[in-house]
Amino acid sequence: MLRTVKARTAAGKRALKKREPQTIEEAKPAVFIKGTTTSQLVMSVLKDLYSLKRPDAVLFGKRNEVRPFDDPRPLEFFSQKNDAALFVIASHSKKRPHNLVFARTFDYQLLDMVEVGVEKGVPMEMFKTTKSAVGHRPLLVFSGDAWDSTDELRTLKSILLDMYRGATSNDMVNLAGVEHLICITAESAQKVYLRTYTIQLKKSGTRLPRVELEEMGPACDLVIRRCRTADTDLWKAATRVPKELKPQKEKNIERNELGDKMGRIHMHKQDLGKLQTRKMKGLKRGPAEDENEDEEEGQSKKRRED
Amino acid sequence: MDVVAQLQTLKDKYKSTEVEKAIPVDFDLRNLVAFDTNPVDHALLRSSPDTYLKNLAREGAQLLVNQIFGLPTETAQEGVFAKLPDATTQIPRAKPIPKEKALTRWENFAKTKGIQKRKTSRMVYDEGVGDYKPRWGYKGANQTTDDWLLEVPDNADPMEDQYEKRREEKKERVEKNKKQQRRNAEEASATAAGRNPREARKAEIQKKIVESKGSTASLGRFDAQLRNEDKIKIKRGKRKFEPATVDASIEKEGAMKVAKKVLKGEDGKVLNITKAVKQVHQKGGLRNVDMEEGKKKKRRTK
Repeated sequence: MLRTVKARTAAGKRALKKREPQTIEEAKPAVFIKGTTTSQLVMSVLKDLYSLKRPDAVLFGKRNEVRPFDDPRPLEFFSQKNDAALFVIASHSKKRPHNLVFARTFDYQLLDMVEVGVEKGVPMEMFKTTKSAVGHRPLLVFSGDAWDSTDELRTLKSILLDMYRGATSNDMVNLAGVEHLICITAESAQKVYLRTYTIQLKKSGTRLPRVELEEMGPACDLVIRRCRTADTDLWKAATRVPKELKPQKEKNIERNELGDKMGRIHMHKQDLGKLQTRKMKGLKRGPAEDENEDEEEGQSKKRRED
Repeated sequence: MDVVAQLQTLKDKYKSTEVEKAIPVDFDLRNLVAFDTNPVDHALLRSSPDTYLKNLAREGAQLLVNQIFGLPTETAQEGVFAKLPDATTQIPRAKPIPKEKALTRWENFAKTKGIQKRKTSRMVYDEGVGDYKPRWGYKGANQTTDDWLLEVPDNADPMEDQYEKRREEKKERVEKNKKQQRRNAEEASATAAGRNPREARKAEIQKKIVESKGSTASLGRFDAQLRNEDKIKIKRGKRKFEPATVDASIEKEGAMKVAKKVLKGEDGKVLNITKAVKQVHQKGGLRNVDMEEGKKKKRRTK
């Protein structure tokens, strides 16, 4: 583990402050790591996944001995060092050819991870089409009925969604920025297809546009390998919602079946003594009467106090 | 021509935006994601994967775009923005929820009294100079020692250096502020540890007294007495000495004990941390590790 350092300069203080936990979090930064041995195929997929995740991503140029299923400590070290929460590690061995590990950390501790093998992969540069601009949020589609069937797929879905959903702290999306789509299809509990397309919005004669797609790349067929689901306690801590973001309970307001708002108001008891009745000239009080009235009122108050 | 028919011809001119799905698709629009749980057609996927997947993606994208373009919009200089609803998918955070900062003594006092912070301007007008100066800090309005002339008060000693006096006063103020900061930090750490700050401070002082008493040769016997000092117990360890002549075997045993400790660690147990982490991790965390496993084996070997 890294030492916890105390800032000596103002710039250092700002840098440390930036790393402090936030109530509303920005997009999680991802680190793309080259393992000790890699194949051309898995590296091309890694680079394409990196370019899809940019600008919240770092691609390590040097090789690193990271085997998160054996020892999570190197990963946790990188998490702290780079202030990153998402990892993709590429490796290639005889036992596990063209291997990718998607891992996620919480509080610089390994939370969950899933390992996939790349069976087939077509890199982005092979598609001679226009690419999406950096920094635009992609649309995501998870199709197939297998997604919720196994822990492996659930974890993979959660991590991929976490990685490519972008900065969700902003509740506005530019409609002109809807540029590309990542479609991930689970054929079975073992096989997953990842395809990426650019979106063209065409006229449809209605207010909504007609969507046409053009393959942008990368396209890869993945097989599920090992998986490590999140520890229950750690998951619980990671999914806690801050008090500020919890919906406020509305007091005394209900909605009926028709969706109408029904309010309940609590009022003081009405003082009928001061009720304004019909004014008539004959009932009008003169100045002398007024004084008497005051005295009487004083007395009545006293009586009430008794 | 009928309006309905006219609309229909206009519609027919373009491809439709409608998509039919057997199971309705779920959306989480804050994350711009659609979950299509309709089963995959395996035969089609095997025969022509690219066209099938592209069609599947187009349908999903069309449904998602229909939803997003149906949201209320706002127009800004950069374009038209859709306002997204709250997220529905549970996704873990990267870091824990920030802890609430402990209030300082002043903040606590202000809270109970209902004193609110007021915004003051950073610059103040200095009449002597005829210009604005920062309220505090470098070349600030409160830098009293910067004055070129200081009046000696009527009842003051004329030989006293007024500049020196102001410098000393400022030093004292700074010291006082530092002391208060330290106290606030100590109190905050005590409260965070679930202790009463007053009790924690008391315990700390008592510990310090005991330490200082024990640090003189006479163990504080001739030191000035503090008030209520007799209530503080001062522990004095008694030194034990081995007898000068013992059996050689006992002496040997002691020496061997030390040697073993140096060579193998405490109790002869050697823990290879890297190996242990690896073993635990490969089993999927501590929860899957049988803690009794190693012990049983040991018994069997005996």
